[in-house]
This record gives sequence, C-alpha cells and structure tokens, in this order.
Amino acid sequence: MNMPAAQPADGERHAAVLVRDVDMDFGNGPLAVQSASFSLEAGRFLTILGPSGSGKTTLLRMIAGFQKPSRGQILIGGKASDAVAPHKRTIGMVFQKLALFPHMTVNENVAFPLKMRRFNPKDIPERVARYLDLVRLGGYGTRRIHELSGGQQQRVAIARALVFEPDLLLLDEPLAALDRKLREEMQLEFRRIQKELGVTTINVTHDQREALVVSDEIIVMDQGRIQQHADPVAMYRKPASPFVANFIGVSSFLKGEVTETGLSVNGFSCAGTLPRNMSLGSVAQGAIRAEQIRISATAADLASCDTTLQGTVTDTIFEGERLLYFVAVPGLATALQIYHHDPLGHAPHDRGAAVTIGWNARDLLIFPPQNM
Amino acid sequence: MISQSQRITIWTLVWIALLTLSLPTIVVLGASFTSGNIIAFPPDGLSLKWYAKLAMARDLQQAFLRSLVVSLICTAVALPVGTLAGLALSRFRLRYEGAIQVYLLLPFTVPLIGSGIGLMLVFGEWRVLGSLWPVGVACAVINLPFIVWSVSSSAVLLDPDLELAAQSCGAGRVQTFLHVTLPAVMPGVITGSLLMFILAMNEFLVSLLLTDARTVTLPVQIYNSIRSIITPDLAAVSVVFILIALLAIWLLDKLVGLEVFLKSK
Ligand SMILES: Nc1ncnc2c1ncn2[C@@H]1O[C@H](COP(=O)(O)OP(=O)(O)OP(=O)(O)O)[C@@H](O)[C@H]1O
Ligand SMILES: [Mg+2]
Repeated sequence: MNMPAAQPADGERHAAVLVRDVDMDFGNGPLAVQSASFSLEAGRFLTILGPSGSGKTTLLRMIAGFQKPSRGQILIGGKASDAVAPHKRTIGMVFQKLALFPHMTVNENVAFPLKMRRFNPKDIPERVARYLDLVRLGGYGTRRIHELSGGQQQRVAIARALVFEPDLLLLDEPLAALDRKLREEMQLEFRRIQKELGVTTINVTHDQREALVVSDEIIVMDQGRIQQHADPVAMYRKPASPFVANFIGVSSFLKGEVTETGLSVNGFSCAGTLPRNMSLGSVAQGAIRAEQIRISATAADLASCDTTLQGTVTDTIFEGERLLYFVAVPGLATALQIYHHDPLGHAPHDRGAAVTIGWNARDLLIFPPQNM
Repeated sequence: MISQSQRITIWTLVWIALLTLSLPTIVVLGASFTSGNIIAFPPDGLSLKWYAKLAMARDLQQAFLRSLVVSLICTAVALPVGTLAGLALSRFRLRYEGAIQVYLLLPFTVPLIGSGIGLMLVFGEWRVLGSLWPVGVACAVINLPFIVWSVSSSAVLLDPDLELAAQSCGAGRVQTFLHVTLPAVMPGVITGSLLMFILAMNEFLVSLLLTDARTVTLPVQIYNSIRSIITPDLAAVSVVFILIALLAIWLLDKLVGLEVFLKSK
C-alpha cells in the first residue's frame, strides 16, 4: 500500500508482529482472510486456531511475506513485511507440507540456513548436532529425508527453522503427523524451547488442546475472520461467540428468549449470565460447558444449583478418565452433553435412566444475537 | 489373479516383442563378425577382420569424431536453453503458452526435411556452412522439445514451497536455483541431455543437408558408403553405434536410475 501508515497505537508500537485490516482475496469465492487485525509482543507464543479452510495458512504466509495481502498492512519488527527481500528476513518457517530438501541429508537440511546465512563453517556441525538433539534426532544426521518417518521429518523441519535462531518463528501445524504421546511431549518441548530462546512464535493448528497447552495467546479463526484473541484461560472461560465455545472444549447450546435471569427455553427457565444491553424478549443463544453441568439420580443432590431440569440419559461415552453423558430433556431441541468424572470406575447412570441435571447461573454464557 | 492361460499368452507376447525388437541387433552383430567379404547372416565364418578394418578406416573414424563433436555442441547448447525453458514452462503462466506448446509438438508434425532445408537456408545466408558447429546447433534446435519436456516433467513434481523454504533459510535467487531447484530437476536434465546427445549422434537428414565433404558426420558417411557397396565393415560400425547407445543407457542408470527415467516419460 502506498498510503502513509497510520500512527500505531501505544500498545502496538513495540509489537514484534502487527497485522492491520488485512484481507486476502484469491478471487475464487469468499475472502480467504477478512479484516484481520492483531498485534503480538516480542517473545510471545501465539497460536492461530481454527477449522480446516478457515484461512490460518493464508494468514501465516502473508506474515512470512510469501503472499501479498489484497488489502491492509503487516509490520514485522516495525517494518513493512515486504520491505525486506524474503531471504534477508530472519523468519524461521515450518511449512504445512514441510518442504524439506529431498536431495539433502538431515544434516545438510539443517545446515543449509547456516551456510546461506554465512555462519562460521567451523561452528556449523556442532550447531546442527545441538539442534538435532533438541528435536531428539541425534544420530539421524546422515539419513536421507525419505528414510525418515513422517514425525521425524516434521522434527527435521522444526530443527531447520530454529537452527539460525530467527527473530520470528512461524509454524504451520508442525506437530500434525505425530502420535499423541510424542505430540504432547513435543508441545511441552516447544514451550520450553520457545521460552529458552525467547523467540516470538506464531503457531497454526486445529488442535484446541495444543493451543491451550503451548500458547501465551490464542486467536480463533473461522471463515477467514478472527473470532477472538485472548489468552488460553480467558479464551476457555469467556468465549466471545458460540463458535469459539463450540470449538474449544465441549459445550451444549440453548436457544431462547432473554429474561431477567437468563433464557426462557420452550418455557423452561434457564439461569445464565447476560451480556450488557440485552433487550428482554429477544432471541439469544447460550452455551454451557460439559464439565459445568452436574448430574445426579436424586434431585436433592442438586439443590444448590440455580437451574435444575429432569431428563433421561440417551447415551454414555467412555473416555477413560471421564464419561460423557448425553441427556435429553423433554422440550429442549438437543441433548445436553455432560462430563462426569468417575473416580470409582462405575458408570452410575445407565442409558435410559431418569436423572436430574443442574448448573449455576455464571456457567451458562449468553451471547448477543450478532454473534449467533 | 492371473490365470495360467493368461500368463502363457502374456509371456508369449513379451518374447515375441523382445525378439522382434532385438532381431536386427542380433543380425547386425552376427554379420559384423563374418570372415567373408559380403554382408550376410548367418555370418560366413567368424573373424574380427572387419573391426580391424574399421580401426584402419580413417574416413570413418574422422566422421565418428565429427559426430561426437556435433553431439557435444548440440548438448552444450540444449542443456542451458532446455533446462531454463523447461523450468519456465512448468512454473509460470506464460503469455504465449499455446504457441509454445505448438512449438514443442513441432518435431512430430513438421517433417525433418522441412526444418532441415529451413536451417540450411538460414545458415547458408549467414555463410557459416562448412564448419561443424552449425550442425550441432541445428540438432539442438530441432530436438530441443525433447529436453524441454524431460525437464518440465521433472519440474512439475517439484513442491513450490521448496523454493520458499530455501528463501526462508536465507538463500537468494541464484542460491535457491543452484542448491534447490536445479538438484530437484536434475533427473530430467540428465535424461534430456543424454537424449539430445544420442539424437544428435544419429541425426541423418539434417546432417546430410548441412554437411559437405569436409564436415561429413558418421550417419552421412555410412550413407555414402552404402551407396557404393555394402561391406561388412558397416555392420561393425553399427555395432559400435549400438555400444554407444548402451553406454548412454548405462550412464543414465548410474546417474539417475532407469526407474526414474522410465517414469519421467
Ligand atoms: N493459493 C490459493 N489459491 C486459491 N485459493 C486458496 C489458495 N490457498 C488457499 N486458498 C483458499 O483459501 C481458504 C483458506 O485456506 P487456508 O489454506 O488458509 O486454510 P487453513 O485454515 O490453513 O486450512 P487447513 O487447516 O486445512 O490447513 C480456503 O478456502 C482455500 O481454498
Ligand atoms: Mg493450513
């Protein structure tokens, strides 16, 4: 853009990454990214979370400078992202399809950025070995890329992106091909490495657990739009829209008219937390987390709840450390999902059992209608 | 599953194909070892005398050397041009893509005699006929589509992110090309180059039009000999030709692996 840049706001002045009003139009339908704006402080770990096709990769590639936004502005360390030639940027990137150099060995792949950036040749082997150890690939240096498993290849890509100690690290689903155990280990490892090197990091994933575990901040995207930008705890506790509530964690949704104390759903009074400026009688949607609903065979157990309802268990799903109940309440459109931690290991409610469920007003979040 | 009768049919067909393909080679190989004075199969006694004669035949040897030079010139010209053209073709939406594709089909549509006469007129106009390099250049021009194809079929398999990855590793344009793009399309480049070499080695019609008595190449030399008498030394020459082709295939196998070559077609 040739327009003079608007003065950054105070909080944005020292941002390592500043994205302002960015659109990306591939000309093949709705915008891949629409009016994206956010800023990221140096040294922070941001995760962009969203379903497939929501524009995560597109946003990341624009930040990397590989794609030019159709509109808006991206500043990296205060400089326009396209003001610097791609190979002069100190941005490490792990591509979604890895893009390892197939004709080079593991060592050569990891050494490549060091050679291109004219590191002292004497230091290169030691440094390569150190970073291969970091991603637990010590001893694999002489293998060719096609001789590695998918997860090992992914770790080579991570080592190659980190080895020259970039100012900014961009990760496009770097852990997607790993098994759960290794993925969770690598998530913690990532966090450790990131804190140790202090490198500003933007990670893309559609794994909500990973986002919660590794990040300082999360951005949730849907259909090219940023839905919410918050730290993991706030994101979980105060989702900005039903979409976010549904995407992170397991929630049940209720649709009804706004009352003084919550929602009236088909005549049932459901206590909830109302946002400001809701007009009484308007239609709104509420969400409640599966772990915030209590379930019991006897109504007396739930006397302390603000709302109690009678229902029937329609399904029980065993998830190991907990059970997920589906409870149908006559008159409510969908079954409610309820987590039940089950330390004794016996499911107390069989399918078809009559149960009482209940929750407190602060746990049913009601969203303004424009976010529905 | 393949049944017994199907298997018999398939193998019969394979053997017939192999036999018909290799029959001329076997015949010429046999004929070259004859001890008689006329070309014949089966050979009339066994001897190496025609090879010995070949070793003495200065005109054939010199024609062979000239053919070698022509092939090298052709390959040297086609290698950079074909590689860049092949990469460009696979990479960019070229403005005249349609026209370029027509050009790439030319060797199969325009008879060689047409392009040969065209080139003869051009080179004649430039007054360069009589030296060897125009023959090499002509072979390169005519056969260029083969190397362009070979390179671009390697290049379309290339992940475009690979070059971006190289850039994010700090490689500039030239370094990216040398360290990442070129090695990735190397199988295509090598295949194409060997193809160009062999095609130039065998090129007859264009050589015939562009050479004279001083610059005659091997295929033309052989043709000249055939017109007078057919002696078994020509069979020996053919065998040498076949050996060169085998050498090229062996090189190909060593450099890129035959599997890659067969798949790239
Ligand atoms: N090069 C391109 N040309 C045209 N359209 C594209 C291109 N890249 C992405 N898109 C479109 O833009 C939208 C967003 O794609 P993007 O790759 O950013 O999704 P994503 O969030 O990374 O999804 P995933 O989790 O599946 O990787 C999609 O609808 C996609 O079809
Ligand atoms: Mg993606």
